[in-house]
Amino acid sequence: MAKPSRVLVVDDDAEMRALLLDVLEKDGYEVAEATDGAQAVLALRAREFDLILIDKNMPGPSGLDLLPGLRRVCPRSQFIMMTAYGDVPSYIEAVEKGAAEFLFKPFRMEELKAAIVKALGANPAPSA
Amino acid sequence: MWRRWRRALAAGLARNLTTRLIILLMLVLMLITGFFDYARLVRVRERLVAQTQKDQRIFTETLALAVRQNIRRNRTTDELRELLEDILARPGLVAVVIYDPDAQIVAARLLIGFPDPVPDQAVREAMSRREAASSMLETPGGRLLRYVQPIRWPGGRTAAIEVRQTLGEMERDFRRAVRENVISRLTLLGLFVLSLVVLTRWSIGRPIRALMAGARAIGKGDLSQRIVIRRRDEIAHLAEEFNRMAENLQTAHTELVHQSEERLGLEQKVQQAQKLAAVGMLAAEVAHEMGTPLNVISGRSEVLLGTIPADHAGRRHLEVILRQVERINGIIRSLLDYTRPRRPALRPESVGAVLRRVADLLADRSRRRGVRLAVELPHDLPPVMADPDQLYQLFANLMLNALDASPEGGAIQVNAGPDPRLPVENRAGIVRGKAEGPCLAIHILDQGGGLTREQLAHVFEPFFSTKARGQGTGLGLPIVEEIVRAHRGEVEMLSAPGDGTEVIVRLPLAGTNAPADEAPVSPPAVVAQ
Repeated sequence: MAKPSRVLVVDDDAEMRALLLDVLEKDGYEVAEATDGAQAVLALRAREFDLILIDKNMPGPSGLDLLPGLRRVCPRSQFIMMTAYGDVPSYIEAVEKGAAEFLFKPFRMEELKAAIVKALGANPAPSA
Repeated sequence: MWRRWRRALAAGLARNLTTRLIILLMLVLMLITGFFDYARLVRVRERLVAQTQKDQRIFTETLALAVRQNIRRNRTTDELRELLEDILARPGLVAVVIYDPDAQIVAARLLIGFPDPVPDQAVREAMSRREAASSMLETPGGRLLRYVQPIRWPGGRTAAIEVRQTLGEMERDFRRAVRENVISRLTLLGLFVLSLVVLTRWSIGRPIRALMAGARAIGKGDLSQRIVIRRRDEIAHLAEEFNRMAENLQTAHTELVHQSEERLGLEQKVQQAQKLAAVGMLAAEVAHEMGTPLNVISGRSEVLLGTIPADHAGRRHLEVILRQVERINGIIRSLLDYTRPRRPALRPESVGAVLRRVADLLADRSRRRGVRLAVELPHDLPPVMADPDQLYQLFANLMLNALDASPEGGAIQVNAGPDPRLPVENRAGIVRGKAEGPCLAIHILDQGGGLTREQLAHVFEPFFSTKARGQGTGLGLPIVEEIVRAHRGEVEMLSAPGDGTEVIVRLPLAGTNAPADEAPVSPPAVVAQ
């Protein structure tokens, strides 16, 4: 059995974080959480993550602002950006800044799983 | 009818200087020729009088001879009287008198109605001098021509014969001739003036009335009025000029109407775009704020749905919850789709033309506020890749902000160039969007109070406004940012409290970028599915 992929969830909303943790852990991922950019950097310095799921709208620096810095800290990680529906400029910026996937809230859990699988590409998560 | 003619006559004479001059000249001419005619008539009369005098002299001399013959033959006074009786039949003769040497009337023959001859001074002088004398006598019955001829009386003394002849007929002829002359001249003058007036009425009055009617119609706003005059004189030229003027007025009017319609349309378009943008931003805000809780609801429902058996009654409830979340999501999506600004149709565009249109739109407003709007752009500005409508909206927003910030008597400067105009000291700035490659930078500089660093940090956020409550929507600058980003340009806002605010818009030059109509990335809708 392959080593489970590690996922970091960066979102300021506790309920959202809890939901994502529940869903992803149930799917066999190893999940950590961070409430903002600072915590995310700390978590990334502590250990490596395969995938970072980051919300665009956060108090302080936004997910878009954090993206380049986090990528530098953890160059091998894949990034999935989450934002509100219709936020096309953020989508464009995220793609330009190297985000692998993009999710418009609210998204179905199937969408999330598909995006994660796609982002991880050759390194898919183990089935539960 | 007569009154109309009299009015026309008076108007014709008063109106037309040429007519007045012609009539005056005619009058003078008639007076001069009349004077010469009169002089001629007077000369004719004098000649006639002279002729009559001559006749009278010959007649009197003949008569004197006859009287002397009679006296020499000792004819009686009665016989002399008979002689005179016969003579008086001569036309015009009114009196023949014979005086003896004592100036006593010996014999006389008189026509009634004329004064009786008396041996007056003229008779005595003629007798004493023995010289014939001719003279004129004014009487109530007309002028009389008298001739006194001395004759030798038996005894060596001198007596006299007087013959009086009336000039009445000749005078009557003369007066008639003068009268006829005057009448014919007055008639001529009258006919002349009348024909002049008729001619004036026909040739000037009518077209002038047509011109006046045309001018009145134009004054009332009927610019389609034209005047047709088939002639080749000054009036026709005037009518031509009038028609040309009417034509120009009509063209200008049409153009003006067209322009104001265009301006109105543009304004409505901008307003509509602002309104849509406002709703769109509100919807985007709602989507942002509601995205996470909706996601939590739907996600939790999905998780729950995965844990309960297929035949459990609770599944139905969860499915309803999921459908309702999807429904809310659909509402937000359709609202966003409806209000999402269309992608700009980029093409090479002159920023100068757009800015001048904006300045034109704000001219009235800036005049009312006492703010000078100085658009100082060179005419050879390079074109940029832009959507003219969005560019218009962009600059209208920026210039409106500048106008609202300007104090009375202030100026707004719009110009082009690479470097900021505000001095570096005390200056703070914020940039939105990112311009790459060669750009055209347009500066809009006001003399308002400027913004603090804190304010500057928030100016591009939706619903943030430094204007008084109810005056600003807080959407102007977010729209500016959106448009600038859509154009792959950037907007920089510099401000120094007390010195004013400067907004610099940088737009990529035409012909330097990749095909601008092609979006750099595919639309994101695909990802969400």
